[in-house]
Amino acid sequence: MPDLEIRPILGTMRRNPVGAILIALQVAFTLGVVANSLFIINDRIGLINRPTGFDIDNIVTVQSTLLDDPADKLQQVRTDIEALEAIPGVIAATSVTQLPLSNSGSGTELFASADPNAPEVNGARFTMTETGLDAMGLTLAEGRWFREDEIKLPSTYGDPINVVIVTRVMADALFPDGNALGATVYDHLRRPVTLIGIVEHMQGSWISWQHLDNNIFTPQVPMQRFARYVIRTEPGSLDQVMSQVEPTLAATEPRRIVQRLRPYSEIRDRTYTEHRAMAIMLGVVSVLLIIVTAVGIVGLVSFVVRQRTRQIGTRRAIGAQRLHIVRYFLVENWLMTTGGAIVGMALAFGVNYWLANLFSLPRLDPWYLPAGLVILWLVGLLSVFAPARRAARISPAIATRGAAL
Amino acid sequence: MLEMKNIAKIYRTEAIATHALRDFDLSVADGEFVTVTGPSGSGKTTFLNIAGLLEDPTDGTYKLDGEEVGQLNDRAKSRIRNEKIGFIFQSFNLIPDLDVTDNIDVPLRYRGLPGAERSKRIRDALEIVGLASRQHHLPSQLSGGQQQRVAIARALAGRPRFLLADEPTGNLDSEMASQVIALLDDINAQGTTIIMVTHDMSLAGHGGREVRLLDGRLASPDDAETLAATGTGV
Ligand SMILES: Nc1ncnc2c1ncn2[C@@H]1O[C@H](COP(=O)(O)OP(=O)(O)O)[C@@H](O)[C@H]1O
Ligand SMILES: [Mg+2]
Repeated sequence: MPDLEIRPILGTMRRNPVGAILIALQVAFTLGVVANSLFIINDRIGLINRPTGFDIDNIVTVQSTLLDDPADKLQQVRTDIEALEAIPGVIAATSVTQLPLSNSGSGTELFASADPNAPEVNGARFTMTETGLDAMGLTLAEGRWFREDEIKLPSTYGDPINVVIVTRVMADALFPDGNALGATVYDHLRRPVTLIGIVEHMQGSWISWQHLDNNIFTPQVPMQRFARYVIRTEPGSLDQVMSQVEPTLAATEPRRIVQRLRPYSEIRDRTYTEHRAMAIMLGVVSVLLIIVTAVGIVGLVSFVVRQRTRQIGTRRAIGAQRLHIVRYFLVENWLMTTGGAIVGMALAFGVNYWLANLFSLPRLDPWYLPAGLVILWLVGLLSVFAPARRAARISPAIATRGAAL
Repeated sequence: MLEMKNIAKIYRTEAIATHALRDFDLSVADGEFVTVTGPSGSGKTTFLNIAGLLEDPTDGTYKLDGEEVGQLNDRAKSRIRNEKIGFIFQSFNLIPDLDVTDNIDVPLRYRGLPGAERSKRIRDALEIVGLASRQHHLPSQLSGGQQQRVAIARALAGRPRFLLADEPTGNLDSEMASQVIALLDDINAQGTTIIMVTHDMSLAGHGGREVRLLDGRLASPDDAETLAATGTGV
């Protein structure tokens, strides 16, 4: 075990505490901010990267508004879907009324029994055609998807339906004991509906909603002149398919407005804009603080090295190897950094605890504190290294040739 | 045993080259007390720095204890400075933030001695210089003469073969100076080879042998040739 000179270094720091305290405070503050930032950044990235349950990277969406009332809307939608599916590179297309992850849509509730006291289970509602499963790239866990003959044009979205499909989370919420498949559930007006299928997973409309994964599929097409289409492509065909969507829709029915043609990932990205901005902002702040801390350490150590030139030369003269000199400054800084970091960890934990209680923010995962400590250790050691090497190059002849001790 | 042959030291700056030492030959036998005198700027410190491996000569060969030291790397030179040589400087060069004990401890830590051994050596060295009662004082709490005695203790604690002193009394009044010289005499009497550089002519030849420098050269060639067998003296 090499002699790290910890006791004499601590003694020296006690006699000249100002620089050490400044660095320690800076480290404490930086650690507090960096640990909390990393936690929030990671939390946000986790939110953004939650599995969507559908093939988001290979889907194009588009919105169509007919200029005239269609004679047969159901047929119109079917014609559109067939035309879209005929585009090379398209796997499947479906109509939808609302888009998952768009932060807009409508919800409804289902009940496991007709009993007026049965608890309501809320979910977002997605109307799709018999191609919906393939067009979204969903995974069917149990039962079956809609058949063509089940798809209806509703007069209102409150029209009774015969069959319904839900996500697994929703099914489990309705029937905690299982056996959801084939069960009769009840809609918001307590009308019976048969639960014919369970989709493994799909995120719904509102990313901050606690029941984001509770989703209900109904076999309907959009009403009136409006329709929205989801078109799933072969991997790599997205751009090429996208260029064909407008001409294709124009060819089946020119009297319409085609809008909002975009890759699905754009919808998600826009929905998460604030989360991403927050993560980037905190990342930038953390990096800047780390740089400021590093510059502070480099500055202090450089100053101290200049101030102690004679002392370092004397140490060299009486037998210090260059390694001893470098190590001295590394240990000295490590002690300051660690002292500051311990204070910083306590502060970060305390401030987070307080904020979490006050604003019901997520509680800091304590592992971010040692992670911050390791980061600041590295910042400290890297910052000290250059001035410490300069110190080690001071000539031992300084001891007899003058310079301030 | 210290042996220099044809040592030259040239300091080059952009404008001029200063020949601080030239054609310098010197042999010092074990146990000698050599005083190196000469006017200011004559090369005394340059000589001592080369002798103490603080600087490399521009030319010539230098053997310490029979070992050619010119080719050694920095680490090996640091070891020799740490183990074989004790330094005493004109301005003491104690580390201001360390107390007496910790100052003496500095070179012992570099040597990697265990704590108990270091404590014993520190106690012994303080005993020799008569400062056992000041072990927890800071340098700033000591007089110049006491500081120089701490510096001597720091040099002695390493039990060096050679003690190199550059104007050790230069910053002391005459009473303190004579205490320090008396201490060096005692140390020399115990067998440590001492080379002391001074421009104080009253100390010339103090230890029995004097080497005089003038303008980077030996002023009396005899001294270089003569391996005076004396060395212990008053
Ligand atoms: N680092 C240096 N650079 C240039 N010249 C130096 C340097 N050190 C010493 N000298 C010159 O070398 C000569 C001898 O200096 P020094 O050995 O310090 O003399 P002394 O100790 O006898 O007073 C002087 O002329 C001095 O100016
Ligand atoms: Mg000098």
